[in-house]
Amino acid sequence: MTINKKLHFIVIDDSKLDCFIAEKIIKNTGKSESIRSFLQAQEAIDYIASAPPADDDSHTIILVDIQMPIMNGFEFVEAFENLPRKATANYTIYVISSSINENDIYKLRNYPSVRQFLNKPLTSNNLAILLG
Amino acid sequence: MEKPEKIKVLYIDDEQNNLNGFKATFRFDYTIYTAQNTEKAYEMLKAHNDIRVILCDQRMPDKTGAQFFEEIHGEYPDPVRMLITGYTDVESVIDAINKGHIFRYIKKPWTDIDIKSAIEEGNKFYTSNSLLVIKNKELQSAYDELGKFAYSITHDMRGPLLSIVGALDLAKGMESLTEIREILYMMDDAVKKLDEFIKNTHEYYNLKRGKLTFENIDFNNVVKDVEALFRITGRMDKVRFTANVVQNEIFLSDEISIKIILSNLFSNAFKYQRRNADDKFVDVNIEVNNNKAVIFVKDNGIGIHESHINNIFRMFYRATSEESGSGFGLYNVNDALTKLNGTIEVTSVVNEGTVFKVTIPGKTNDDK
Repeated sequence: MTINKKLHFIVIDDSKLDCFIAEKIIKNTGKSESIRSFLQAQEAIDYIASAPPADDDSHTIILVDIQMPIMNGFEFVEAFENLPRKATANYTIYVISSSINENDIYKLRNYPSVRQFLNKPLTSNNLAILLG
Repeated sequence: MEKPEKIKVLYIDDEQNNLNGFKATFRFDYTIYTAQNTEKAYEMLKAHNDIRVILCDQRMPDKTGAQFFEEIHGEYPDPVRMLITGYTDVESVIDAINKGHIFRYIKKPWTDIDIKSAIEEGNKFYTSNSLLVIKNKELQSAYDELGKFAYSITHDMRGPLLSIVGALDLAKGMESLTEIREILYMMDDAVKKLDEFIKNTHEYYNLKRGKLTFENIDFNNVVKDVEALFRITGRMDKVRFTANVVQNEIFLSDEISIKIILSNLFSNAFKYQRRNADDKFVDVNIEVNNNKAVIFVKDNGIGIHESHINNIFRMFYRATSEESGSGFGLYNVNDALTKLNGTIEVTSVVNEGTVFKVTIPGKTNDDK
C-alpha cells in the first residue's frame, strides 16, 4: 500500500458494536480520510455503485463480515464483483469474521477481489499489519 | 379393534394345481397373489407394491426361480425372496443364496408349518429392514440439522463474545469516562444477545427431546406468566399491551410448548416495532371453542417484506438486520406447533404491522 495515498474505509457488519469497534480502531491509526459503516451490505453496494469515480491518489479499504442477514458477506462480494469495473477500481476487500469454518475461508479464494481473511475481533495490531 | 393387516405374499409356480392348493391353505392367514409364469409375476409386483414375501418354484419352463430372483433384485429389492424346489439342485441354490438373492430355501413337498414359519420369519426380516430405512432417514436429518447447528453456533455464540473481546481491548486504551461508558452499554447488548441465544437453544432442546405433558391450560394465567417475563425486562415500555382471553372450557395441552409459542410471538411483536412510532401496540386475542384454541398476536411494527415471509420459520433465518435476533424464535414456534398438531398463518404489511394466527387443537382422549 502506497503511503501517500488517501485512505478511506468502509465497514460492513450487522453488529453495531463491531462497527463501533472498527471505527474507533481505524480512527486511532490516524491514517483515515473517512470511515463509513453499513449495517446492511446492500446499502454498501448502493453506495459504491453511486459513488463518484475515485481519483488516482485515493484508495478505499472495505472490511466486511461474512454472516449477516439478508445479504451475507459472500453475496456482497459477488454483487461487488458484478459492478462495473470503473466503480470498483481503487477498492480492496478484507473479509473479517468470527467464522472458524474452513469451508468459509476456503470459499473466499474463489473471489479475486478479496485480498485477505481476518479473524475477529479487529485489533489495532492486525489493522496496523494490514496497512503495512 | 382392527386386526393388523395381513402379510401380502406372492407365489409363483407353473403348475396351476400347486397355486390353487397354496391359495386354499393360506388365504385365511395371508393375502395371497399367484402367478403361473414370471411375466404374470412382474404384473403382480407392479400392481401391488406392498408385497412382502415372494415364494417361487425353482423349475419353471421359461426360467429358473433363481434366475427370476436375480432379475427382479434391482427393481424390487424390498420383498423377501424364497425359493421352493423339489429337486436337489444344490449348485443353483447355493449360488442364489451366495449372491444374496434369496432369504430362504424351502424343500418340496412342503408342509404348512414350513411355509408359515418361513413367511413369518421373512416378514420379521422385512419389517426390521424397513424400520432401519426409516431410522436411517431420521438419523440423516438429525445429522444434517446438527451440522447446520454447529455452523451457526460458532457465529451466534462466538460473534457476541468476540465483540466483547474487541471492545475490552479498545476500552483499555481509553481515557475518557464518557467513551468507556458508551462502550459498556454496547457490551451489555452483546451479552444480552448471547444470553438470548443460549435461552433459545435451551428451548430448542426442550422441544426436541422433551415429552409432552398434557394438562389443563388456563390461557389467562399463561398470558399473565409470559407478560410478566417481558414486564421485568422493560421490553414492554412504551408499547400498549392488551390481552383478551375467552375460555369457558377445559383445554388439554402441553404448557411448556404453549409458553414457547406465546413468548416468541410476543417477543417478536415487542421487538420489531417502528422506532419512532408513538402509538406502538401489541394486541393478543385468544379464544377457546370446541376444543380448539385460536390465538391472534397483532402488532403495528415494521412488518415483514413479502419476499421473506416464506422463510421466516426456517432455522437461523433472519429477515431483518434491525434489532438483535437469533433466527431461532419462529423456528421453535413452528416446531412446537408441529408437535401439538397446530398451524400458524401470518399476514404482514411493511411499516404497518404483522398478525400471527395460531390454531391449536386440544388433546382428546382418542389421541395417542
